[in-house]
Amino acid sequence: MDLFFSLTVNGLATGMLIFLLAAGLTLIFGLMDVLNFAHGGLFVWGAFSGVWVYDLTGSFWLGIVGAIITGLILGAIIEYLIIRPVYGNHVQQILITLGLMLVLSELIKVVFGPDQKAATAPEYLQGSFMVGDVILIKYRLFIILVGFIVFGVTSLILKRTRIGLIVRAGVMNKEMVQTLGVNIRLVFMLVFMVGAAMAALGGMLMAPYSGVIYAEMGLEFGILAFIVVVIGGMGSFSGSLLAAILVGLAQAYMAYYVPALSLAVNMLLMTVVLIFRPQGLFRVGVK
Amino acid sequence: MQQLRLNFEKSTWIYLVIASLLFILPFMMSGRSIMFLVMQIFIFGIFAMSYDLLLGYTGIVSFGHAMFFGIGAYSIAIVFDLNEPTMFYLIVGVLIAVLLAAIVSFVVGILTLRLKSHFYAMLTLALAGLFLVAAEKWRSVTGGADGFTISVPEFFKDRTNLYLVCLIVMVLFFFGLRRFTNSPLGRVLMAIRENEGRTESLGYKVLHYKVIVSVVSGVVASIAGVLYMLSLRFVDTSVFATEVTLDALLMTIIGGVGTLVGPIIGAALIEFAHHWLSDLSDVHWIFERWIILFGAVYILAVIFFPKGIAGTIQELYRKKRKKRQDNKEIKSEDKMAG
Repeated sequence: MDLFFSLTVNGLATGMLIFLLAAGLTLIFGLMDVLNFAHGGLFVWGAFSGVWVYDLTGSFWLGIVGAIITGLILGAIIEYLIIRPVYGNHVQQILITLGLMLVLSELIKVVFGPDQKAATAPEYLQGSFMVGDVILIKYRLFIILVGFIVFGVTSLILKRTRIGLIVRAGVMNKEMVQTLGVNIRLVFMLVFMVGAAMAALGGMLMAPYSGVIYAEMGLEFGILAFIVVVIGGMGSFSGSLLAAILVGLAQAYMAYYVPALSLAVNMLLMTVVLIFRPQGLFRVGVK
Repeated sequence: MQQLRLNFEKSTWIYLVIASLLFILPFMMSGRSIMFLVMQIFIFGIFAMSYDLLLGYTGIVSFGHAMFFGIGAYSIAIVFDLNEPTMFYLIVGVLIAVLLAAIVSFVVGILTLRLKSHFYAMLTLALAGLFLVAAEKWRSVTGGADGFTISVPEFFKDRTNLYLVCLIVMVLFFFGLRRFTNSPLGRVLMAIRENEGRTESLGYKVLHYKVIVSVVSGVVASIAGVLYMLSLRFVDTSVFATEVTLDALLMTIIGGVGTLVGPIIGAALIEFAHHWLSDLSDVHWIFERWIILFGAVYILAVIFFPKGIAGTIQELYRKKRKKRQDNKEIKSEDKMAG
């Protein structure tokens, strides 16, 4: 039983990391109709820049702030230079964001060096609790906590504030929102920046969790995030949380019980969902 | 109409001249590494052409094209590994590769081509990932991530023979696919690219045509995989890697989407750049990261030259010709008036 429990905690933690990546992706898709294949690149940039700040200052929290700022800045630049020229053209969007992904992960090697980087959690997050005979690793609980906080805060913003109202309305029908006098382009940029920042935060949290970070992990996690977005339904924020947890848990259980299938299980999951319910499990909007 | 046919023949002649120049190349120079490089260009040229059938002619973005390349490479490698490497088993291997690629592309196409572009791109990415995982896990047959070396028939041990075979296959595919894309079927594919909804309402079964093109493209890609294996005499899981698809994508976009020369030009550019820029890494380490340069060129190409090198040249040529024709017409009108 305790084994099952720790697998669950593992899966939840991984799920939360994927959620941070997928949440931005799904919002960007829902609002802007852009599928950002470079999202994994932002994840790696968050990880590397965050760890760099963390190493420099010795403060984990400053590292997180650094990652978020990197995400915001990169998000703004990318939206303005790369995404804006190709609004409305799906094939070009796919091609261009994929190219961006290549450039982003190669640039990592130029800026931070081609080697893997090690990262450890700060002391107060190392170690574990014992509850009965169940071992709870602190850092994993921390990730789960952060994931829920991000989810809670973002949901509150989406549901209770004016900007959240605009975003939700935009997901449903952006032409109408524009007609009502909202500068939708500005909202696009804002959402893209926030999405990028969430991805960067996910990358930073990922670093001490896996211990090492490397430039190629962007694509790996990017694919997982896509799977989550597809399962959760494009544009559905809470759907992406549920799907991320589902994917995280499926991977954790499979890795233990059926290791041969662990890499394939999520892709199989996505294939099944796409073939039988291509709109995703929790689709919102009327498109 | 007459004019059009004449021009077709003109470009055919140009291609044939270039092909025959390439034919005598191995007898003119003896550099082994350069010959290997040119061979890789042929192989990736074939692969990129097959990719362009999807991307450039039909407007389908697939991120899993590597799976057909890998199927080709692994089928022939496994056949040679289990049997004697003779010409007979070469044919068997090629047949198996083609058959497998056709079946896989057919099944994948039937299941996924009805999805929208985003979903299709992702699903193919995931499926290629599945093949990669399968090749890694099925160690008894594929040798896992380490791969395995195989001996090839005597005929292919001679570099010149292999070079000529690759060249011939590429030239055959080039003209064959040109015929294919100029056929009524090819025109329907281009109609799908331009406006899928309209093509459908004109009464064409879009899915039907998409499946056909994906099967053709998959089969051609598997042949490229076979040649790749023959040239390396080694196979490992990297043939299924996303990088293979990305290479084809870069080659197609930079060379020119929607043309068949484009992918070959792109393949030449990227292979040469890869070769030379990696050599330059002694001079400055930035050259090791040559892919950044290509990524940047690629992004700029998507924004500013969506037609790529070949497409842009063709357009310029066409414009010039039109101008000349217009001038001629004006002159003849003048004459008549005079």
